[in-house]
Amino acid sequence: MRQILLTAVIIGCFASMSAPAWSSNDCSAVQGDVVLEARTPQVDLFNDDSGKEKALTLEKEKFPTCAPIVGRAPNMMLQVQIDGKKYWVAPHMVRYRFAGKLPAVCRNLALGANQEKAGATRGLGEGCPQAGASH
Amino acid sequence: MTALRNRMPLWFVFLVLLSVASIQIEHNPFGLSDLIQRHAQDVSNLLITGPYFYGTAGRDSISAAVIDEGTLQTLKMPWPWDYAAHARVLDALLEYHPKAVVVDFLFVDSRPDLTLPQLIEEIHRYQSEHVPIYFEGGIQLPYGEAALRPELAATGVTILDPTLPVYDGIARQYNFTGKCFGGSRPHDAPCLSLALQVFKDIYPQYPLASLRGKMELVWGTRVAPQNAKWITATDSRGGRRSCQLDIGPLRRVYLAFYDTAAVQNPCPYNAEIPVVSLMEGSDDPDLIALARNRVIFYGGALQGAQDEMYTPVNGLLPSIFVHAMALDNLITYKGRPKQNVITVWGRTLESNAAQIIAIMPVILVLSLLHIRSVRARARGGGQSTHARSVTMEYMIERVIQHLWHWLAFGLGLAVGLLLTLALGLSVANWVGIVFISAELAAMLLIGLPDSIWGYLSHVVREAE
Repeated sequence: MRQILLTAVIIGCFASMSAPAWSSNDCSAVQGDVVLEARTPQVDLFNDDSGKEKALTLEKEKFPTCAPIVGRAPNMMLQVQIDGKKYWVAPHMVRYRFAGKLPAVCRNLALGANQEKAGATRGLGEGCPQAGASH
Repeated sequence: MTALRNRMPLWFVFLVLLSVASIQIEHNPFGLSDLIQRHAQDVSNLLITGPYFYGTAGRDSISAAVIDEGTLQTLKMPWPWDYAAHARVLDALLEYHPKAVVVDFLFVDSRPDLTLPQLIEEIHRYQSEHVPIYFEGGIQLPYGEAALRPELAATGVTILDPTLPVYDGIARQYNFTGKCFGGSRPHDAPCLSLALQVFKDIYPQYPLASLRGKMELVWGTRVAPQNAKWITATDSRGGRRSCQLDIGPLRRVYLAFYDTAAVQNPCPYNAEIPVVSLMEGSDDPDLIALARNRVIFYGGALQGAQDEMYTPVNGLLPSIFVHAMALDNLITYKGRPKQNVITVWGRTLESNAAQIIAIMPVILVLSLLHIRSVRARARGGGQSTHARSVTMEYMIERVIQHLWHWLAFGLGLAVGLLLTLALGLSVANWVGIVFISAELAAMLLIGLPDSIWGYLSHVVREAE
């Protein structure tokens, strides 16, 4: 009887110790899209979704867990709320969970392109003075 | 005439054949020798080395993260990207702990972009994590611009020469040395080309072969299995087909000679990492396998960027894969890639000189056999015609002719294979020997040296 009680106490202790860790990784209490935790040693937080303006960089330990995702940009940046302020974060810097499924990434190569090649340079040359032009 | 022919010395036959071979090798009449050599190199890549003999050690150590039109479309990030976007990709790569990263974009222009510090910070992150990162320097810049933006160069990042030699419009060779862009190196030591420098830094256990001449690229055809999973190709009729070409050996032989385009695979040999997956921080096991502990080339495959090259086994391919293939060759051949020169006892021989020396034993054997057959025929003195029927005589003659050609062909092939296996000379630089050997055999059959000897003897006697 004493052994059963002792075993029950030990199991209880382990369960109570592992509970916070379990909940922090899973974030099951948070519904919808959520950032589970930081992934990279430093996490850059931006003011804009294009990632041009960096607000601050947080060390991995200081990044909060289970931060709800409040916005998503087409370039995959995630908007999270930290200490009441909204920031954008690059998804590769955090572990996150989406409620929906991510679309598949596929690539298709057109055969026959060996006989053709773009005879133009991308987005350059507008407004250049033209040799021999009338203007 | 017959009497004169019987007195023809061995050295004369040898000299005539050597002269014919030397003219063909050295002067490349009508560009035919060159054409045969390069065509043979392409066919070898498609038929022999590519599908059967080329190892996968390099393929399993290299990946390419390529920004393509699909990437721009999916991420709604039009080209050109700002420095912050590049920093984001590089940071995502760093998270997978690669062996090294080579940035295949030229950052030459000092365009005003407030996000430049983010890229500089990213370079510092690589440096603090001790992951080598390489940038490419601009070459042939007409106004003396810096090879790399000074702000980026100031980080101390290694700058490499991305020059790619083009041979008849196709990427068949790769430079050993390149332009120097600063950095510390031993006095008088040459600066290495991109793939060579990366190989030297990352694989110090394999000492590099003698850096003379050029590397002859061997193109693999067994596409990385990961590419077959996520990349497909659409043919001219709109049908989808896999990157894993399933062509039997016989059909491959037929196609390689008669419909080369059908046997070429538009998918790259080295694994390609989807940049979209990289940027979304995917935990896909394939992605982890492709990025962790590999040398990663980061570049683009964009319409109008003019950064594409023809390869013998793929057709048009983003140039980033040419650098990747060069590094692949170096890894696969453990620092001793196929070359267009050979180095023996510290002396380097150009491929033409090597071919002339290599064909000498073939010529000697053919000459010896020719002299022996001439003398034997002279000793026989036509007895055999009485003993054998005319048909039999004709048949024997034909069989001997065939055997004679095949002997020459075999001798040439044996010498060529010896040069490849022992001295690393590329197929393209010796295959001419095989054809020339067969041609010399044909010359002996029609009695070219005999005729010349007879004519010269006649002229000398007349003069006396």
